[in-house]
Formats: sequence, C-alpha cells, structure tokens
Amino acid sequence: MKFQIEDVTVYFPYDHIYPEQYAYMVELKRALDARGHCLLEMPTGTGKTIALLSLITSYTLSKPNNPVKLIYCTRTVHEMEKTLAELKLLHAYQTTHIGDRARILAVGLSSRKNLCVNSRVLAAENRDSVDASCRRLTASWVRAAAAANPNLPTCEFFEEYEKAGSNAVLPPGVYTLQDLRAYGKEKGWCPYFLARHMVQFANVVVYSYQYLLDPKVAGYISKEMQKESVVVFDEAHNIDNVCIEALSVSVRRQTLEGARRNLNKMRQEIEKFKATDAGRLRAEYNRLVEGLAQRGNLPFTDNWLSNPALPDDILKEAVPGNIRRAEHFLHVLRRLVQYLEGRLETDNVEKEGPVGFVASINTHAGIDQKTLKFCYDRLHSLMLTLEITDTDEFLHIQTICDFATLVGTYTRGFSIIIEPFDERMPHIPDPVLQLSCHDASLAIKPVFDRFQSVVITSGTLSPIDLYPRLLNFHPVVSRSFTMSLTRDCICPMVLTRGSDQLPVSTKFDMRSDLGVVRNYGRLLLEMASVVPDGIVCFFVSYSYMDGIVNSWNENGILKEIMQHKLVFIETQDVVETTLALDNYRKACDCGRGAIFFSVARGKVAEGIDFDRHYGRLVIMFGVPFQYTLSKILLARLEYLRDTFQIKEGDFLTFDALRQAAQCVGRVIRSKADYGMMIFADKRYSRHDKRSKLPGWILSHLRDAHLNLSTDMALHIAREFLRKMAQPYDKAGGSGRKTLLSQEDVEKMSDGILNEMQY
Amino acid sequence: MNNGNGRRLNGETEEDDDDEGSEGDLDAWERTYADERSWESLQEDESGLLRPMDNKTLYHAQYRRRIRSLSSQATTSRIQKGLIRYLYIVVDLSRAAAEMDYRPSRMAVVAKHVEAFIREFFDQNPLSQLGLVTIKDGIAHCLTDLGGSPESHVKALMGKLECSGESSLQNALDLVHGYLNQVPSYGHREVLILYSALSTCDPGDILETIQKCKKSKMRCSVIGLSAEIFICKHLCQETGGSYSVAMDESHFKELILEHAPPPPAIAEFAIANLIKMGFPQRAAESSIAICSCHKEAKVGGGYTCPRCKARVCELPTECRICGLTLISSPHLARLPRSCFGCQQSLPNPGNKPSLRVACPKCKQHFCLDCDIYIHESLHNCPGCESFRHLKSPIATEE
Repeated sequence: MKFQIEDVTVYFPYDHIYPEQYAYMVELKRALDARGHCLLEMPTGTGKTIALLSLITSYTLSKPNNPVKLIYCTRTVHEMEKTLAELKLLHAYQTTHIGDRARILAVGLSSRKNLCVNSRVLAAENRDSVDASCRRLTASWVRAAAAANPNLPTCEFFEEYEKAGSNAVLPPGVYTLQDLRAYGKEKGWCPYFLARHMVQFANVVVYSYQYLLDPKVAGYISKEMQKESVVVFDEAHNIDNVCIEALSVSVRRQTLEGARRNLNKMRQEIEKFKATDAGRLRAEYNRLVEGLAQRGNLPFTDNWLSNPALPDDILKEAVPGNIRRAEHFLHVLRRLVQYLEGRLETDNVEKEGPVGFVASINTHAGIDQKTLKFCYDRLHSLMLTLEITDTDEFLHIQTICDFATLVGTYTRGFSIIIEPFDERMPHIPDPVLQLSCHDASLAIKPVFDRFQSVVITSGTLSPIDLYPRLLNFHPVVSRSFTMSLTRDCICPMVLTRGSDQLPVSTKFDMRSDLGVVRNYGRLLLEMASVVPDGIVCFFVSYSYMDGIVNSWNENGILKEIMQHKLVFIETQDVVETTLALDNYRKACDCGRGAIFFSVARGKVAEGIDFDRHYGRLVIMFGVPFQYTLSKILLARLEYLRDTFQIKEGDFLTFDALRQAAQCVGRVIRSKADYGMMIFADKRYSRHDKRSKLPGWILSHLRDAHLNLSTDMALHIAREFLRKMAQPYDKAGGSGRKTLLSQEDVEKMSDGILNEMQY
Repeated sequence: MNNGNGRRLNGETEEDDDDEGSEGDLDAWERTYADERSWESLQEDESGLLRPMDNKTLYHAQYRRRIRSLSSQATTSRIQKGLIRYLYIVVDLSRAAAEMDYRPSRMAVVAKHVEAFIREFFDQNPLSQLGLVTIKDGIAHCLTDLGGSPESHVKALMGKLECSGESSLQNALDLVHGYLNQVPSYGHREVLILYSALSTCDPGDILETIQKCKKSKMRCSVIGLSAEIFICKHLCQETGGSYSVAMDESHFKELILEHAPPPPAIAEFAIANLIKMGFPQRAAESSIAICSCHKEAKVGGGYTCPRCKARVCELPTECRICGLTLISSPHLARLPRSCFGCQQSLPNPGNKPSLRVACPKCKQHFCLDCDIYIHESLHNCPGCESFRHLKSPIATEE
C-alpha cells in the first residue's frame, strides 16, 4: 500500500498496516526532518523492522536531492538475515511500483567466518582463527611471495577479486549474507572483501553493533560512512552494556603468560630480520618518525584493528622516541607485563583510577602516559613489519596493548579493579585485573556526533527517560507505543504470596527460606498441571537456580513436576544449552510438554524466542538484580551518581526490570500468539518497581492481578487459557480497528496517534 | 440495554421453573441452586463489577459464524456429506479427568454428554456406526466395537468410569487406526477425541502416527477440556478435523453436539458409490431363534437377514454372517433431512435494527430464534411452504 505522511510518500509492502506502525513512522519521520536522534519503544511482534525500513527508504525516495544512507545495526547474525529478508520484500514492492528509480544496493556485513567461501579457511573453528587463516592467504607480503613462488597457497577468491579491480562491484539489489556468498562463489570473488568494499556505496548497510561501537573495528569499517546517514540500533535495550564492554579489558594470569610468550617470539623474529633484512626495520623506524598518519597508505588487507584511542590528534603526533625502535618497544612491553604481574600478586581487592594507575606505572616501570597511549598502534606497526599473519596467536599481547592505550588515553569514566579471587569462590586464587569502563556515552559519542540521525529502538526501553542520560545525548523524539490487540492475548500477573499466603521473594534474607522455596515449587507444580505445552522459568542467577532446583529435588517437588512435563535446564555451556533447547522444542512439539529453567541475563533470556506453544507461560522467579557486591558494579554506580546524578537504587531497579521485561517478552512474538507472564516476587507489587515495566505490559496488568496468591493465579490461568483457545476474528470485529487499509490510513487524523502514545 | 436483556432472561427462567414445578420434589429456588449452579456463570468484567448474565450476544455471534461458514461453503461448491460414518469416540480417562473444575468431575460431565451425543448421533446418522475407546494409564482400551445400538455403548461407558495414570494420544490413535482401516471405503472414518489431559506420554513418534492417520483418511477431531494443546491442533489440521476447547459445561455440550450432523466428505472420497443393503423383516412375535449377535436363543423380536436368513437383534447393523448392511426403511427415510436440509438462510443486515436473516428463495425474513428453530427442528422454510400452499390451490382451480 502507498500513503502519505506529511510530505513523504511511504511505500509499504503489505496491504494492511497496524495503527502503531503508522504512529511509529510518523514519529520517525519527524525525527529525520529534525535531523536529530530519537528513542522509540514498540513491543515486539508489531513489525518494527518493516516500519523502519519502509519509512527510511521511502524518505530517501521522496527527497532525491538529499539522499540518506541507512546503517542498520543488529545484535545477531540471525536478526541481520531477518532484516535483510524483509528489506528484500520491500525492495521488490518498491521497484514494481516505482520502477528503476527505487533500485537500491543493500548489503549485510559480517565477520569472515560468516562470509568466507574458501573451504580451507572455513575449516578453522572460531572467528579469530578464521581471520588469521584468511590473512595467511591474503596478506600483501604473502601474495608478493606467492607471485615469486607459485607453490605458496593463496586464496583464489581473493586473487580473482583483486584481478577484477574496480570492476568488482555488486549490481543494485538486496544481498543477504547467503546471497553474498552465492554471488561470490558464482563470480569467484571473495564475498567478504567485496562486501567491505561495497559498504561505502551501499544505500543500506546491515551489520552488527560492534562495527560502529567498538572503536577497534569501527575505525576501519565505518570510517567512510557519510554524515547524512541514519543509524538504527535495533533491540537496543542493552546498548549501554555493549558500549561499556567495547571499552573494557580484563587481564588474567594466562593473558600475561601468553603475552610473555608472544614477546619472546617477536624478539626472535626481530633477531632474524636484523640478520637478513635490516632495511625493513630501518624503514619502519623512518615511517614512525614521520608519524602514524601514513598508515593509511598500507594495502587494506593488512589494515587490521586500528587504534582504540578516539582522539584524532594521536594520528598526527609522532610516536614517542623511546618506542620507535622495535627492540626498545619490546623492552617497554616487557616492563609493562612485569609490572602487571606484580600488581596481580596481591591479596586484597584494589581499586584505582586511571590517573593514579598511570602514575604508578611511571614510577615503577618508567613508562609514561604518552608511551602507553601509543602501544596499540606501535604494536600493529611492528606486527606488520615482522609480517606476522597468525594474529590469533598474538591476541594476548594485543589485549595488553589495548589495555595500555585505554589507560593512557582516558582519565575519566574508567577504573582499574584488581581482585585476587572470585567473590563467590574465595579459596581459589584467580587474580584478575580489570579495566572497566563506567561511561556508556564514551563509546557511542562519536556515533552521535558523526551521524545525522541515530535511532535507538527496542521492545523494552522503559523508563524511556533514563537512556538519554546514560548515553548522554538529547533525543528530539522519545516515544513509547503500545500494541493494538484484537483480544487480550497477554496476561501478566504479579504473584506475591504462595499457596499458604506467606510472601514469596528472592530477597537476600528470604531466598534460602524453606517456605519460599516450597511455595515457588508449588507454584510451578500447579502451573505445570494447568498450562499446556511449554513453560519457561527464569531465575535470578545460576547459583540460585542450582540451589532451588536442588532443594526441589530433595523434597520431591521436582519429581511431581516431571509427571506433568519434562524439565530442561540452561547451563553455562553453550553446546549443552543448545541441546537442551532442541529437546525442549521437541517435547513441546510432540505434546509431552516441557519446562525450561533458565537464567535472566543468560544467553537464552537475550536471544531465544519462546513463541507460540514453545512458551505459553513464563515465570520470573524473583527480581533479577545485578550482583550488587560486584566491585565493577559498585564503581559504575558511584560514577553514575557523581556524573549523571542517577541514584544507585534507580539504576539497579531499572536494570533489573528491563531484564525481567526482556525475559517475559520472549513469550510473545506476534499478535496471533498468546501467553501468560507471572512475576513471582512480592517486590513487583510495589509501584516503583512495577512502573518501570514497559507500557505494553503495564497496560494489560489489571489492578486485580497485582497481589495474587498461587491459587488465585491458577484460577486466572485456567480462565485465560480457555478463553484464548476459542476461535477469534483476526481483523478485530468490534470496537477499535487494529488493521488499517489504505483508505483508513488516508482518512486517519491525529486522533488515533494521540491514542497510541503514552 | 444489557440490563434489559438480563432481566428478560431471568424472567424466562422463572417461567420455566413454574412450568416444571409440579414434577420435582424440590422447591423451585432449591432446584435452581442444585441443578443450575447459576453462580458459576457469574463473571466479573474488567473493573471487577459483576457482568449481567447475557449470553445472547455470544450465541448470536456463534450462530452467525456458523451461517457464514455454511454459506461460504455453499457458494464455492455443492458439498457432499458423508452419510455412512464410522466414528470412534475416544474418552480420555487419565488422571486429569478426575479434576473438579467441571462439577462433579470432568469424567462425569464427559460421560453425561457422551451419552446424549450417542443418542443424537444415531438419530441424525441412522446408517452409521460408533465405537468407544478409553485411554487409561497410558494405554488405550477398546470399550465397545463399532455398532449401531446406542444402549450397549452407553452401558459400557457408564460401567467403566474411573480414571488413573497418564494419557497417550498415540496409543489411542494406533488402536483406532487398526480398527478403522478395516472399514469399507465408502464409510467415513472419524475419530472424536475428548481430551482432558494437557500432555501425551507416547511410546514412539506421534507425528508419524498422525501421518498414518492422514494417509488412511481418518478425520480426527478433538474437544479439549482445559486448554489448547499444540499436538491436538496439529492432529486436527493434518487430518481435516476440528479442534475446539470447552469453556464450561454448556459450551462442551454444544461443541460435542456439533459433531452429530454429518461432516462434509473428504474430497477424494466424494465419489458416488452404490452400496448393497438389505431390508430385513421383523420376525414373528412367537418365533424362537438363535441370534447371531449374542449367540443365544431369543423368543420373538429380532430381524432376519434377507440374504442368509440369520437373526439379528437390532437395526441398523451389519450381518455377522454375510456382511450385508442391514437397515430398516424408517432409517432411510430419516436420512434426507440431514443431507439436504432446507435452503440456506443468509445473514442480511437490512435496515431494521435487530439481527435477522432472510431466506434466499422466498425472501421472507426471520429473527435468529426462529431461524434456529427452522434449521434445527423444522427442516423446511415456512415462507416457502406457505408460498407453495398459496400456489397449489390456484393450480387446482385452473
């Protein structure tokens, strides 16, 4: 269908549109007009992605003299593929209605592991080793050597791609990763380098968060992006954590040992070069004197991770004299590693700011701040000079240099925490030195500064006013949309009491109480006997889950549950969890019924959908607060309070509730679906906790469901499931319309818009 | 408006009470509480207020939906209905059947309505046969073989009402599949499963069993008693049956009775078939013969197969000796109304406010209540009939 939003003609590939999608588009359009950033919350299953894509592409079509590029960031490869598939549909629709003018180029970009078509390279097991084996075949010196000696292996796809030169372009169209691989195979071109090349010219780029947020990667992938771009972060409820992780480094004993090995190897290499090819080292020295800025002249296959330091001036400065010579630099690194080893030999927890830490390095190891700052770049320059292709073996020394550069660059927003052992296992010495970033805005700031509009969107962004403060930006639009439903297909409940009317909670002083454990057990047991197919349970942590499942086992509740449904458990092992999930699905499919025990903040809570019969009920046992005794969290809370005036309690509640909302949101993925959500903790009934849930859950949370005991919840569940099993009219026969046709949209005034907003 | 309806509804029930007051030994008000459990049908609305007991709109909506589905089928093609049905009713007597959310228990409610259904079924499908299967302790038992006598089925079911253990859909399907596979191809193979449990505990891959059922053209329908189960939905979708979940007892009754009229024939089966049938004579009152069904001597009653002269007790049935379908002429006479019925009435909003439908042939309008009466009891359209009567005198005059 085709309709007008103010001055933009929107081409939408479906015949009907949900009112909230329309409202979403209107808000988005206004944000684009204002060239500002925006925050939009809309529940999953309402077609966020297609609304975004069709509005932004239509916006470009309506304003041909001012084209905007769309950079769409997703969390996982799976989401990337889904987005590109939707875009394909949209593109087909637009080209049939407008013709060739609507042709665009859209590519997905992922790591070599997902794009490589060379079977020899793909044999490597993880991402880093795929990268390394690719480099072993494509680095410039390898290819130069291969030109002289044809017996050396090279990658035929890359050679073909290089041969085609500037002719190697993708014709317009939408390319998923699979399409790229197919196209690469057909033409004999390397899809990875082709995609990386085409990113500059594409109208739509879909890739992972890291390519924009992680400064190590962003430097060389996203450097070329024009300012007139719209950046979309989809499923962005955890964006602050992604930002923080991108700038945090942790150093363990193994890291330091590995770094020592790397240094020895490098020394040998240097000796070798000194004997055979001293001129190379000399040339590097000269280049460093002139400054790192010339790095750009290197052929781009050699151009790996560039500097994590953001300030531009570092590129203009020359490398300090004491690390210009290769052997001197190695000495500096050796001293740094030694110093860090010394720091790890501590018996108590230490916490320090970057300034103090740098000063102490200076006095003990004699390395000043400026030298530290250049470590990362200097290391890579050296590795290029030494023609090292096995980058995966040198990860340890890279980590150390990364650490050094971050410490040397930032004076605020970081802290260094040294813990001699894990809090939970004080007998096992496992010293770790962590450089933790507290300020999410550091990593995302360049993105906000560089691009015209940044759209942050997710199903759960409540409370929506906290994100601008955490990320330190000013959105022009921040809105939350609710879902228009033809029937009440979600049923959230807050369960505060067990069947014996005693309160249940995972509060620290109550969690080991046998009564609470038993009440939780009874709740699950009773629910298992009335809910068909799949039930998903989320616990606050692995240790809590282990404890409670253990005691359920002891008092026989688990056995009773097993009579109704099979039980599967998420573990920290990925393979095991995947297997458990597979079997869980199988059990739901064949009618046996199953329960999946999982942990909030775990892999399952973030990425796996439990839609339709895979999740008819989700029970959130307790409030998933972070581990509040963690030193890193405490340091971050302190920083947030001092810098952004966010109270500790507020942040913790916000974080816990967004996790809870994420967990329960797994259960409903489309409007035709239905599911129940039980928040089993008395603390959820308090207003300050509850009010932080997203609007689309809150609007279905009736007052009568706020303070339930197990038997009442059971009754409600029975009624709800019976009601949902009845056939219903998908178009929404009575009352408000939930599907709009073209005429409806044309007729629509702002009336509905206001109704949709919170 | 709701209140008005509610009041009128209450008024009606009172009148009914007065009519029947003479026969019961309980007082009217006592009986209302004992039998009808009116408080269970009370419902709260969103704000916690009591909702008036107004199920009229619900019924109307359901009825309209039915008419619409009928009319859409009627317009696309002339549907052929399966007249000779071989139906197995599978009653789930697993642990879940003891639950008390239906009073006194799911099991008792199911049994009560199965009884009513069996009678209704033979009333509407005089040529068809029916058998009973129960699931208990994860094993399916055959309670009665396919047969045409309602009494024997009802008796067998009532004698076996106790429940325990798990439920297994696959075992039940396998068992029924074994029986129905032997049924002649002109008959319609159907299974109606009354499922209390929320899971099925199977020895093998149930999906294969479902495919097997699909292949042998068994139409499997399920009525759930508590919630929608994926595997049941899948089973019904695959085999072309209907899946429904009962809200309460009256809804359950409605759902199970929906299965009494013959369903549309499966496409591949919809070829005209000639079936050989015998019309046995009733034996003389005083004659003594050994009947072939019970293997005992009986005086009087019974029928004699016209081909092999064997004696059978009841009609309709299949002759034990020669396999001839035995039927009496009243059975056959009852048939047409269920297959042809009267003409369709189509929903027509019109310009009058109330809900009504119009007969497409005579263009007379009827209110919904009348329409239900016409379709379910009268089986012919009063409008058309009266036109015919008007016409015929004219014809005679000429």
